[in-house]
Amino acid sequence: MKRFSKYSLLVAALVLGFASCVKDLDTVPLDKDEITSATVYDNPASYYQVLAKVYAGLAVSGQQGPAGMADISGIDEGFSTYLRQYWCAQELPTDEAVIAWNDGTLRDYHDMDWTPSGEFITAMYNRIYYQISLCNEFIRESSDAKLDERGIAGADKTNIQGYRAEARFMRALSYYHAMDMFGNVPFVTEEDAVGAFFPEQIQRADLFTYIESEIKEVEPMLPAPKANEYGRADQAACWSLLAKLYLNSKVYMGSEKNTECVTYCDKVIAAGYSLAPNYQHNFLADNNTSPEVIFPVTFDGTYTKTWGGMTFIIHAAVGGSVMKPADFGVDGGWGGTRVTKSFVHKFYPDLTGPLQVSPVYIPKKSGYPVLYVPGSYQGWDPAKASTVIASAKADGKYEGYLYFADANTQFKFADGPSWDVNYGDDGANGTLDRNGANIVAADAGYYKINVDLPALTYTYLKTDWGIIGSATANGWDADQNMTFDPATGIWTAVLDLKAGEFKFRANDGWDVNYGDDGANGTLEQNGANIPIANDGSYTITLKLGVPDYTYTVVRASYDRRALFFTQDQNLDISNLFAFNDGFAVTKFKNVTSTGTNGSDMTFVDTDFAMFRLADVYLMYAEAVLRGGGGTISKALDLINELRTRAYTDESGNIAQADLSLEFILDERAREMYWEGTRRTDLIRFGKFSGGAYLWEWKGNAAAGAATDSRFDLFPIPATDIGANPNLIQNTGY
Amino acid sequence: MKRDSFSVLGKLFLPVLTLLFIGQMAYAQQSITGMVTDAQSGEALIGASVSLKSDPTKGTITGVDGSFRFSASQGQVLIFSYVGYITQEVTAGLQTTLNVALTPATETISGVVVIGYGTQKKKDATGSVTAISSKDFNRGSIVSPQQLLIGRASGVNITTGGGAPGEGATIRIRGGSSMSASNDPLIVVDGIPLDNEGVAGMRNPLNAINPNDIESFTILKDASATAIYGSRASNGVIIITTKKGAAGSKMKITYDGKASYSMVGKTIDVLNAEEYKAFYQELYAGNETALKVLGTSDTEWQKEILSNSFGHDHSLALTGSAGTMPYRASLGYSDMNGILKTSSMERWTGALSLDPVFLDNHLKVSINAKGMRENNRFASRGAIGSAIGFDPTQPVYTDGGKYGGYFEWLQPNGDPITIATQNPLAQLMMRDDRAAINRLMGNVQVDYKFHFLPELRANLNVATDLSNSQGFISVPDSARQNYDIDGDGNPIGGIDAEYKQQKKNELVDFYLNYVKEFGKSRLDVMGGYSWQHFYRKGNYFEANAARTITNSDTDYESESYLVSFFGRVNYSLMDKYLLTFTLRNDGSSRFSPDNRWGLFPSAAIAWKIKEESFLKDVDAVSDLKLRLGYGVTGQQNITSGDYPYLARYTFSEITAQYQFGNHFVTTLRPEGYDANLKWEETATYNIGLDYGFLKNRILGSVEYYYRETKDLINTIPVPAGTNLTNQILTNVGNLVNKGVEFSILGRIFSTEELFWEVGYNITFNKNEITKLTATDDPNYKGVFVGGIGGGVGNTIQIHSVGSPAYSFYVYEQVFDKDGKPIEGLYVDRNGDGKISADDKYLYHNPAPAAFMGFNSRLNYKNWDFSFAGRVNLGNYVYNNVNSGNGVNAYMYNTAGYATNVVQDALYTGWVNPKYWSDYYVQDASFLRLDNVSLGYQFKNLASKKLDLYLSLSVQNAFVVTKYTGLDPEVYSGIDGNIYPRPRIFMLGLKLDY
Repeated sequence: MKRFSKYSLLVAALVLGFASCVKDLDTVPLDKDEITSATVYDNPASYYQVLAKVYAGLAVSGQQGPAGMADISGIDEGFSTYLRQYWCAQELPTDEAVIAWNDGTLRDYHDMDWTPSGEFITAMYNRIYYQISLCNEFIRESSDAKLDERGIAGADKTNIQGYRAEARFMRALSYYHAMDMFGNVPFVTEEDAVGAFFPEQIQRADLFTYIESEIKEVEPMLPAPKANEYGRADQAACWSLLAKLYLNSKVYMGSEKNTECVTYCDKVIAAGYSLAPNYQHNFLADNNTSPEVIFPVTFDGTYTKTWGGMTFIIHAAVGGSVMKPADFGVDGGWGGTRVTKSFVHKFYPDLTGPLQVSPVYIPKKSGYPVLYVPGSYQGWDPAKASTVIASAKADGKYEGYLYFADANTQFKFADGPSWDVNYGDDGANGTLDRNGANIVAADAGYYKINVDLPALTYTYLKTDWGIIGSATANGWDADQNMTFDPATGIWTAVLDLKAGEFKFRANDGWDVNYGDDGANGTLEQNGANIPIANDGSYTITLKLGVPDYTYTVVRASYDRRALFFTQDQNLDISNLFAFNDGFAVTKFKNVTSTGTNGSDMTFVDTDFAMFRLADVYLMYAEAVLRGGGGTISKALDLINELRTRAYTDESGNIAQADLSLEFILDERAREMYWEGTRRTDLIRFGKFSGGAYLWEWKGNAAAGAATDSRFDLFPIPATDIGANPNLIQNTGY
Repeated sequence: MKRDSFSVLGKLFLPVLTLLFIGQMAYAQQSITGMVTDAQSGEALIGASVSLKSDPTKGTITGVDGSFRFSASQGQVLIFSYVGYITQEVTAGLQTTLNVALTPATETISGVVVIGYGTQKKKDATGSVTAISSKDFNRGSIVSPQQLLIGRASGVNITTGGGAPGEGATIRIRGGSSMSASNDPLIVVDGIPLDNEGVAGMRNPLNAINPNDIESFTILKDASATAIYGSRASNGVIIITTKKGAAGSKMKITYDGKASYSMVGKTIDVLNAEEYKAFYQELYAGNETALKVLGTSDTEWQKEILSNSFGHDHSLALTGSAGTMPYRASLGYSDMNGILKTSSMERWTGALSLDPVFLDNHLKVSINAKGMRENNRFASRGAIGSAIGFDPTQPVYTDGGKYGGYFEWLQPNGDPITIATQNPLAQLMMRDDRAAINRLMGNVQVDYKFHFLPELRANLNVATDLSNSQGFISVPDSARQNYDIDGDGNPIGGIDAEYKQQKKNELVDFYLNYVKEFGKSRLDVMGGYSWQHFYRKGNYFEANAARTITNSDTDYESESYLVSFFGRVNYSLMDKYLLTFTLRNDGSSRFSPDNRWGLFPSAAIAWKIKEESFLKDVDAVSDLKLRLGYGVTGQQNITSGDYPYLARYTFSEITAQYQFGNHFVTTLRPEGYDANLKWEETATYNIGLDYGFLKNRILGSVEYYYRETKDLINTIPVPAGTNLTNQILTNVGNLVNKGVEFSILGRIFSTEELFWEVGYNITFNKNEITKLTATDDPNYKGVFVGGIGGGVGNTIQIHSVGSPAYSFYVYEQVFDKDGKPIEGLYVDRNGDGKISADDKYLYHNPAPAAFMGFNSRLNYKNWDFSFAGRVNLGNYVYNNVNSGNGVNAYMYNTAGYATNVVQDALYTGWVNPKYWSDYYVQDASFLRLDNVSLGYQFKNLASKKLDLYLSLSVQNAFVVTKYTGLDPEVYSGIDGNIYPRPRIFMLGLKLDY
């Protein structure tokens, strides 16, 4: 074995040589899209980008957009966004929303029979804690000590200190959601490093104190209202959150803090925000320009893409075969969300059926013979199909209505679609002459035109339309005028009607009048009176043009916040999974206030207002009524400001006597529906669980059923109970 | 990159090629005559080669009776070789007659097995090792190496992913030992351990190897066999050895050609147009809007997207020995079309192996190179589901339709209904999804036997595995599948995507091996070192068809290293008692320095009972050996990237920015991580008995194993708030697999004219999760897994403590007196008076309780007939096709379209989906005859220089099962849209020259 020795040296050298390769094991990421935490914070610009992720955590599902590199796992990525889960948790268990989808345990939300294993509740919880972890990481890494250590000073340091205050606000916001939905929850701050440990469970009341102190501490460090970049938190966001915290303090920690609520509402009200003149502007693709939005979650069809968030809220609300996705600025509906009848009653208290009370007109399969009416008003085109009159009996006697926008409009009749056989009136004597002179209508207006071709006679009569009858304010004595829209060719009137009857007539006389024989939705000269069964306000439309003449009578609300789509939608919900059961909602759109579509038809530009001024007005009024001080007259003024906007005039304003807590709850529904506050509001009023207030399918019963009070809190998800032995499940689960 | 690689190869091969032309001296000669026969059958071998070792250019071949005449000098070494037989060397003596019996090469495989870092005599193996040689491979139109093995070895369950050409397969050896980490075995090709990750654009990374080039598979199953591969061996090891030239043999040319015809088999039983119309009209009587969407056509959508297809495969191999250097070179070409329209695969392969010997046999060099080029076209598998659900009364095409002329469901304004089913044929025809992959694997192995100490040898293996993929996806903006319009209604949809990937795996192995016999003992010691580098880089770019909008523009670059030290001691005493110890120390860059190194020991003993005096003379027992083994293996093949322990930040893509003010900010996200992540460890106990009776006419083995995995690398929920994610990959939980394997091979006839061999194997495996989370909450149900189609995020399976992984978690269906399931009625299992999620129960799982393989080979004169098949028992499948398409609530969708349902909808009459009813979890036990083959050998054609072999075979001949879906063989246990496996008829022609 001796000869071995010199070679064993060689072998040893070889092995040592290879062993130097052991250092290869110390790898660092090669991908330029990845930075290690050891170096990321050396660059002051990184802090801004990490802060952007803290905010983006409310909007997107991951780093790729619309999907890919998800933030949280265990659930479909599209479902996983913060806002989508927040919306579902706050809206689907209430009277404001039902959803047609059968995904996992989604239905449990509306049935109010969820369990700790529900994946959507779990996703909400995970999102909240993901957000808290993101904030903790940033807060931990942006302490003054760490900045000094990295040599970051001067303006960079000042900026980063501001970002840190924003991150603390964002953490307080998510802890607020955790407290509101889950009660006693795990408590983790920047003091806890990332790693394997079991967080302690904090009591809801203690968490309340923590959130309150955090917001108050960061408030002076944040920019003044509207002084920060759009999309980022400022002092008004802090005040709004504090107001919410105090308004619900009885639920969270057992005692009322309405005085504090009034104080912070006052601060927001004085901060320079104003109501957007048009209510719906807050929910459109350019709502970033609304003067009312205090703190938004931002979306963009090009740069902030997600299958959750507003993409979900807008697409899910569109469905059925009549709603046109294009009207909502999207390429298709997902046929999901509608409202319950109980909610519709906030706008139409006695509604029992469809909004349209008139018979539904079913179009004839084939049209009637037509006579073309070319003229100066339509470019002298004898082939234009939209400017014709028709013969309903095919007997050569034609009738129809045409609109002449200008005075001295000239026209002729053509047995078109060509000039081959055309008629005018030489001598303006009421008889038609082949190739005769142009006929002239002296005044602009809406003309009834009749032609008897066998007899070669014609008449034309300018008409203005109105409604008369026992259902109207003036009874059978005088007309209520209608207004004409040349773009649609439809006469409209919005009127308060009482139970009774009415007819349409022209020119305040009975020469030309229409009623509905056979109640089939088509109108006949001297036809039967049209019945109105219930008092209420109605929108009445009259469509003449070419026979058949039709009309609709639809329940109307002067309250412009009632943004429903009702055609083909049933008021009652017999099947939760059928989109046609329940009125659809047209509140949110990917269309701007000027009517142009967002930048993309799939992913939307519309932002979500987490806090807006109207909410603060309502909170102020409620806190005053709950004894929080302030003044009742200011409360009334604020509420009437909202109602004046809703009604476009003061007709909907209320008196001080009407301003009750009950009224506030309903008014919150009318103003704030689908904005993620309903569950919290109902709980504050004691109307969420239990039997005090029932709506369709609450408690998994068609008419609604009482539910257990445990549902006022969501359960801590089973996954976390399993992962963290320190947690005690909420009572009853 | 390609050019570089080839020039490197060129540098390697040139000197070697030069060696081929070195001449040799001649000697004084005498004439020798003799016979060459088959050692087993005694049959004469015709055309066997006889040559001089010192000058292989001098030689002859045996005649029709096996005889030869040859001149050689005394002391010269003669080489006798014949394809398929072990080459023998005989030194010429004084005698002039020399009869040589060659042993069939297949015996080589059962005699000597390839193990990690060396070879071993099968009879000396202490571990559980199964070797399968080319003669036992499955026959048929085979492009993927995995398919050669299906059903051939006990304990090895292989499930192909479907019927696509070149489809990958899932291999499980003795059940999966991991949960979140990979359960794939380590595959070692000619000494190169592959990475387990796929190659972009390839259905199956193993397709780089032409099955015609494979000589043998060796499957290492228990820890004493696998532990030498340490951290990568927990799921077993498959060693693939490719064919080589035989020393001293004459040049032989082999052509192997196959033409195949793939036939569409069963399709899903949906309603035809007539049945559909009747059912629909009854369902929606009076609903005018629903009725008016019905069409007047009669379209069988599944037939529209499937078609019988042709394929052909050719390979040409050149084997021989140039001087002292055996060589083999081969070329292969395959062109296969899938039965799902537009799917295809085209592949060229080339392989070269050179095994020169220098320095009087002390220095052996082995050079292997395998190159491949593959062109794939992928068919959108979504079309399979669409074809099931598409209204059969609609036409395939519409005149002047704006979506490529295909019928699509549209809104009144002419835009598509985005949630409606897409035209399945349009999904295929309007998508061009292709990839081209080049791959090159090569290694140079140098084995040096020390001159002064021949017991000691050093072995150096340097290898590289390069792949380069490029792919693109193109969908015109007129196609419905990616239709999109901007705010002004202009089309901005379609796809123009391209991706690239480069992979480079490098390996350096070095070991020393010392073998010495001391009296009755034999000692075999091996120690070595291994360094491996895995590198990949790529990008994915996706824009709309007009390239005006970029949807994705990502790139990645990543690497990992493995450094290992290993050693093995084999000790045998009196050739009766065998002892093996192995130890491997692995370091992986995927773990933090504190957890980086893992130590994997194993020990085994074997007792050759046959060698004991009491059995030695018992003729009936030809072999009996008892083996006991224990060992620990590891797992580091994690699914969350190469840096799971590092705290990292990731930038957002342009489409996931966030608006601050009037600008959009690229965000930076901190990633979740577990700094303490480490190896997963599996301890395996194995007891085995190898037996052989009646001169090994009956042989086989029986084994029992128990494997417990601890510190499972598992994705579990983190305690909320403790990490930058909600689920983390960490070490938690335990898993047990235990089972029994039995295999038997019987040679019923073994005569010159008639040879009949029958093989059978059976494996029972039981899998159980014994621990799952960090805490032991008794109310914790488990981890929900197994996403299903229908709804979003719905799952059907659960990992639950005390049960097999992937158990189904469902409601117990209630049936009426006629045995028909009642919609929505379930058993209230917890008796609380209501049906809630708490009433779900664990019900079977997708893994078979037992699986068997059987095969038979019959040779009669020039005829041969063989078949092979499998039986799986107790494997359950969730029929997602029925649960998703078997209810009538959505036949009319109020958005304005209709969908078809399966026949089961008529049977159950169910209205709403009942995804979690156990009615849909079905017993999918099956018997499948994988292939049947008949062949005839024409010998000695063209002046006895040519052998011709013709064969006819059927692959996937038939399946017997009670399962009601398309195919009972679904690895995941969730039968969604499987690519139908065709029945393939194949004609084969093989020429040996």
